[in-house]
Amino acid sequence: MAELELLDRGYTAVMRRVTDTGQAQHYTELASELGIELTAARELIHELVSITPGWTHPGTDHLASFPPFNIQPTQYRVTIDGEQRWFAQCGFEALAIRWLVPGKHVRIDAPCLCCGEPITVEMDDGDITAVEPEQTVGYTSCEIGGDAASRPFR
Amino acid sequence: MNMNLFRSEEHARNWDGYDDSMASSLMPVAEWADIFSNPFFRERGRTDYISWTRSEAGAAAFASLRARLPRASH
Repeated sequence: MAELELLDRGYTAVMRRVTDTGQAQHYTELASELGIELTAARELIHELVSITPGWTHPGTDHLASFPPFNIQPTQYRVTIDGEQRWFAQCGFEALAIRWLVPGKHVRIDAPCLCCGEPITVEMDDGDITAVEPEQTVGYTSCEIGGDAASRPFR
Repeated sequence: MNMNLFRSEEHARNWDGYDDSMASSLMPVAEWADIFSNPFFRERGRTDYISWTRSEAGAAAFASLRARLPRASH
């Protein structure tokens, strides 16, 4: 298990990269960035996703999800200050992306899973500036974070 | 992921993944945005975020978040 200081450094490095670019480092790049061994960086990736909680693509060391973002495309397209480069992990985490980009305009575009028609939510920091259609709701078919006994810190 | 946005409550109820035991999670998007304004989400940009989640402040934020999350009615 990585020490807390390394978890903080690893989390910050990945979050910054994803926030800036919409992409995540491979563990080899993270190793170089943090000045640690390749094996330690690979283990760090898996430990971070178990905490956040995100995930790697099954059977690989490739980051697929790092909340609130998803590296692998989802139906939740995220546009920041007019640039569409990101995807959100889910409809709820999409609403939390604004806290990582203070002072910037965030727009979420997604199709409704019932009918495929568009949904748009726009945010500026603490303000929800537009919701289309106005009746848009959030819904989860399972308890957030999963079973309490196995839930990570979220 | 099962946490989704829908164009209306009726659309959510008509979704083939709808489970009535989680009907309490059907809330306006603004309410979900408020829940996802908890410090747990707002503090993600800090350089000691993992340490912070394990601090008293982080634990308090988590407890506050848990208190607002809907639970299944079984």
